[in-house]
Amino acid sequence: MSEPVVDVQGLRVRFGPVEAVLGIDLSVRAGTATALLGRNGAGKSTTMRVLAGVIPPTDGVVRVCGHDIRSETIAVKRATGYCPDVGGLVPRATPWEHLQLAARLRRLPEGWEVRARDLLERFDLGGAAHRVTGGFSHGMARRMSVVLAALHEPSVLLLDEPFDGVDPLGVEATMDVIADARSRGAAVLVSTHLRELAVEACHDAIVLRGGTAVAALPAVEMAGEAGAGAYRALLD
Amino acid sequence: MRQVPVPTVPSSTETVGPSRDSVLARSKESTRDVAALVQFRSACLRGRSRRRATYGLLVVAAITVLAAWLPALLPGALGSPRADQVLALLPGAYLGVLVISLVSAGAAGGGRELLAREHATPFPVSATTDHLGALVMAPLNLAWLLQAWLVLGATAYVVGPTPGLLLAQPLLLLWLCCGTALGQAVAWVAEWLRRGRRGAWSVKAIVLVVAAVAAFVVGTGSTLPLVERAPTAAVSEATVAGARGDWLGWLAMLVVLGGLTLAALVFGGWMCARAARLPARAEQRVESSPQSPRANPASDFAALVRTDRAGIWRSVPLRRGLGVLVVLPGLGALAGNLAWDMLTIMPGLVASGGALLFGVNAWCLDGRGALWRDSLPVGPRLVFAARVVVLLEVMALATSVTLVLGSIRAGAPTAAQLAAVLCTAVVMCLQVVATSLRWSVRRPYPVDLRSARATPAPPLVMVGYSTRLAFATTLVALLFTVTSSAGHWQWSLLVAAPFLARSARKLVRTSREWATPETRARVVSTVAS
Repeated sequence: MSEPVVDVQGLRVRFGPVEAVLGIDLSVRAGTATALLGRNGAGKSTTMRVLAGVIPPTDGVVRVCGHDIRSETIAVKRATGYCPDVGGLVPRATPWEHLQLAARLRRLPEGWEVRARDLLERFDLGGAAHRVTGGFSHGMARRMSVVLAALHEPSVLLLDEPFDGVDPLGVEATMDVIADARSRGAAVLVSTHLRELAVEACHDAIVLRGGTAVAALPAVEMAGEAGAGAYRALLD
Repeated sequence: MRQVPVPTVPSSTETVGPSRDSVLARSKESTRDVAALVQFRSACLRGRSRRRATYGLLVVAAITVLAAWLPALLPGALGSPRADQVLALLPGAYLGVLVISLVSAGAAGGGRELLAREHATPFPVSATTDHLGALVMAPLNLAWLLQAWLVLGATAYVVGPTPGLLLAQPLLLLWLCCGTALGQAVAWVAEWLRRGRRGAWSVKAIVLVVAAVAAFVVGTGSTLPLVERAPTAAVSEATVAGARGDWLGWLAMLVVLGGLTLAALVFGGWMCARAARLPARAEQRVESSPQSPRANPASDFAALVRTDRAGIWRSVPLRRGLGVLVVLPGLGALAGNLAWDMLTIMPGLVASGGALLFGVNAWCLDGRGALWRDSLPVGPRLVFAARVVVLLEVMALATSVTLVLGSIRAGAPTAAQLAAVLCTAVVMCLQVVATSLRWSVRRPYPVDLRSARATPAPPLVMVGYSTRLAFATTLVALLFTVTSSAGHWQWSLLVAAPFLARSARKLVRTSREWATPETRARVVSTVAS
């Protein structure tokens, strides 16, 4: 079996007196998608932020594509595409300007515009490409965040609440992005409250509670009525 | 079984609460709501912030009491030629309260919010409550506080240590309330006009007409006679006369000011409601109009600078604030016929104003995009350098326009004067940018600067920031006022060097702090929250 692309061991994150993550172990292999599930405050978004290189871990080992998150943060950022849980867009820049900034800093080769336009069209944002994002609805902002995460075809795609407030067409486009990423061998992590969508998008699921992982199981076991009951039981 | 009345939503044909109630009842209700909002805001302060806020308010109260009393004990108070000179200046100083209230509230889109728009959404905050809340916030502004302390002190000096001071100051306090309420009411009218069709142009036209009238008044040398005939002359006369035993005039003014204050409160509330019903067209236009796409940036630095610039120049409130900041001090210098050695005061004033618009919380320009921006593969020091450059260019632009306006009537400068003014401008811009970025990194706040009514930091913190900036920049300006009178221009360069070195050191240190992952995580998580 191949080495995990995302390898987390004993991750702890503390904000002052608050322990947001209390020792999470997880690994995601190339070409697979893993769902992070759990209640509010379980540590899902904090874990995603650590993997994106935005928040440093207080303790533990975090390796992304073989790079240590502490010492090779820039390399990790190059390898990942991150859709944050809140907003994720600079309010007075346009989607196209976001894409230009990302393309420049991620050293995308000439011709990136073709994929960018294609993604904007797939997410029904082509008509809003040159409007400032401050006027976007919540759903539009979410869709744009997924576009930004997927633009450079990252080795690790981190989607935090990508379906939140998104219409069915946007959900479909996001599912396609996840499927595309998996098919080209990327590792995908999706954090969401929407269990059924997580089951549809991912192979595996990890349930977090109070900053720790309480279960790691095939996503399919979370499906349907029985899955809902099992998930509910893990939350208490 | 006992019948319990169940509260229900009124039907569409039923007249709902406020419109049925009298103005008085509505005002009472709004006053209660304002008290609840103040309590809510105060409850949000915890630990060190709460202690700082308490100390800050105590200091403001103590200075106010001292300003209203201490000058009466100074030598020369009451009856001296100097006291008479101060008496002649009182109408202008009283008028200053009105002007500052009007400009502050006008630049803030009607007045500062007691509770940010985003946070107030779940609560049924009425327009009257919003208006009264903005009035409560009005004194939390260093310019207003300084003017208030100035008029309190000047009045105490004129009246002297007599029992009459106990009559004069309450009437003056009533004028402070009245002037603030009047300024606020006019600001709501301006906001209502601005939100109308072609509103932005109407307001610009009015500002131009006012500027032209002001230029005419200044040009014809009739500023002083006009100020002496201002309605505030009656207020200052009644204040001083009351203190000297003219009870009748004092009482009449008390009634007039009380009536005017009440009228301004009611009218302001009404105008606030009318303005609130209109869409913020200028902001909506920016958010819904397409921007011209530009070529791909040539370098990482250019890409970062471009995004940072968009955060400032595409923000309607920031553009408006910068406009006020550029034009007002320049016109003030022009009207005051400032000489070159006094122009050294201007750069500090303008740069501090720019910092207080957004610079003291510079990372909040990224808003909720801060997390995404920080996930991009770029060195944190380059991001920091881009922010420094963008802040510096804004400050430099504003300072340059002000100095050009101010120099029109200042005549030809000597080499020493020119060097002093230029050195002050460079020193101030760098000093203010270095200080602002240090505060931005150390104390970030989640603020949505889409609203002109928002401040980059909580109001009391803003008072602290503006006090510290005013103190530091005034000291430096005074130094350069001295070097401008020196025989050699090289003195200014010599004085500027250590200040520039200090600011550069501060920037390097802050950049180092920003490069620490823990610090950056705290900043971006806070501004994006």
